[in-house]
Amino acid sequence: MTMTRPTTSSPPTGTPPRAVPVRRRARGRLRRFRGLVGVVVAFAIWALVSRTGLVSANDLPTIPAVAQAFGTSWSPILAGLGTTVEGLFLGLAIAAVAGAVLGVLVGLSLWADAATDILVRMMRPMPSLALIPIAILVAGLGTEMTAGLVAFAAFWPVFINTRYAANSVDPRYVDTARSLGFSQWELVRRVVLPSVAPGFGTGLRISAGVAIVATISVELVAGTGGLGGFVLSAEQGGATAQLYAGLIVGGVLGWLLNLVLSTLTRRLMPWQAAVEKRGEN
Amino acid sequence: MAVLRSTTIRRPLPQRRFVRPVIGWAGVLVVALGWQLLAVALNTSIFPTFITTMQAVGTVLSGPALSQDVLPSVERALAGFAISAVLGVVVGLALGYYRRLGDYCATLVDFLRSLPTPLFVPLAIVLLGLGSQMVVAIVVSAAVWPVLLNAFDAARRVEPLHLDTARALGLRGVALFRRVLFPATLPSIVAGLRIALSTSLAVLIIAEILGASSGLGYFIQDAQQTFEVPETYAGVVILAALGWLFDTLFLAAEHRWLRWDQATAGGNRV
Repeated sequence: MTMTRPTTSSPPTGTPPRAVPVRRRARGRLRRFRGLVGVVVAFAIWALVSRTGLVSANDLPTIPAVAQAFGTSWSPILAGLGTTVEGLFLGLAIAAVAGAVLGVLVGLSLWADAATDILVRMMRPMPSLALIPIAILVAGLGTEMTAGLVAFAAFWPVFINTRYAANSVDPRYVDTARSLGFSQWELVRRVVLPSVAPGFGTGLRISAGVAIVATISVELVAGTGGLGGFVLSAEQGGATAQLYAGLIVGGVLGWLLNLVLSTLTRRLMPWQAAVEKRGEN
Repeated sequence: MAVLRSTTIRRPLPQRRFVRPVIGWAGVLVVALGWQLLAVALNTSIFPTFITTMQAVGTVLSGPALSQDVLPSVERALAGFAISAVLGVVVGLALGYYRRLGDYCATLVDFLRSLPTPLFVPLAIVLLGLGSQMVVAIVVSAAVWPVLLNAFDAARRVEPLHLDTARALGLRGVALFRRVLFPATLPSIVAGLRIALSTSLAVLIIAEILGASSGLGYFIQDAQQTFEVPETYAGVVILAALGWLFDTLFLAAEHRWLRWDQATAGGNRV
């Protein structure tokens, strides 16, 4: 779980780590599986509610019915998933590159930072999804439209977080590096970029969530297929079990994407471990 | 916020009070000018000029669309936001305070918040039908997470000494939540609320496009399908302005009521 706004981290207040007894460690490992309890309880409630007929089967199908829906329509689900993932990654990649480059450039210059300040504050809360009708108007219904819109929506978190990180590089590091005789390029590569990377990572993770929402929104509004298209046709055909199956696949996709990105950030940027730790639970 | 003093890497801004906003608005002006020039140069019917769009904004805001579409949207967004705020704070604090409960629910919460909101729209239409209720439900399903997660995170990081002291002084239950936990986590909660506010507006649009017969989302969609191009752009501009207005009001309120918080009192322009 992440803090979505860059905040100043407070210095660690806890005691220095002590040797942990073996038994405690084993219990710590067990604690990881506590999360499953909630999932099991949720499934139990689902089974109970759908069995007792508290909610009509049309609103909440039984678990076997949804499992069956997976069985009968796995091929359209997979095809839809493929389309969704394609548009998602294309857009996210464009957003990541553009956001990182522009974020560093703008963040490093106080002038550019000031000049884009109000613009960014206008664009940040801008619901990019409102641009879907315009994107359809301008670019038609192809993959370019999806990728372009996803890129636009996902650009802002990367850009804002990178810009912020570049803007708040610790001046002491810069001074130290300079007194060590670093050239301008070395300074950027060895001081600025490592300091900016964690901010970029945070931005990218937020962007991934934004990108999924944008991709599926486009699919729903423009009817360009994908997972959104699958769910929409399930709704229109009154196949609620299929609808739930699509929903679960979407949840797993989002969950996996978040998991991969947060693991990657942790692996690739170990120097951010202290900050990351805070967000973990 | 740290500012690099070294002048070789960054040229400093003049140290005057109004320099920053002036440069900021100059940036906005440049983009507007670029839009105007590009539109004139391209001269296509699908990309109206900045001035045409602004005129359309004026017409929309002075016409019946104001009360039929703009205000209902604002109402739905705020209603969804309010529900999300209460729900997110209560559930987030509870899950954060009762550690074991939080551990039990962590995976479930992680999964639920990963569900892409727009996928909920078809489900919400099945369950609630078309209209305001469905739209508000969709807003809540998206806007509750930033509040809940921030409250959860902050509740787990509350200084244990504070909690122990409060308990030793006999505070428990609701009083403990209200007088210790809530104030201690408020800065984080507010950060979450700000994200939730912009999320509300973003998600509102998609819900209105897909399943409402009024509201800004409906207006934009309708204008696009009837090829009223300037109106389509005007709808988006109004929406962007609303987002900006919400955010600005929020920041002003935060600044006014949360001045005691160090992080808030400092630079908060991101």
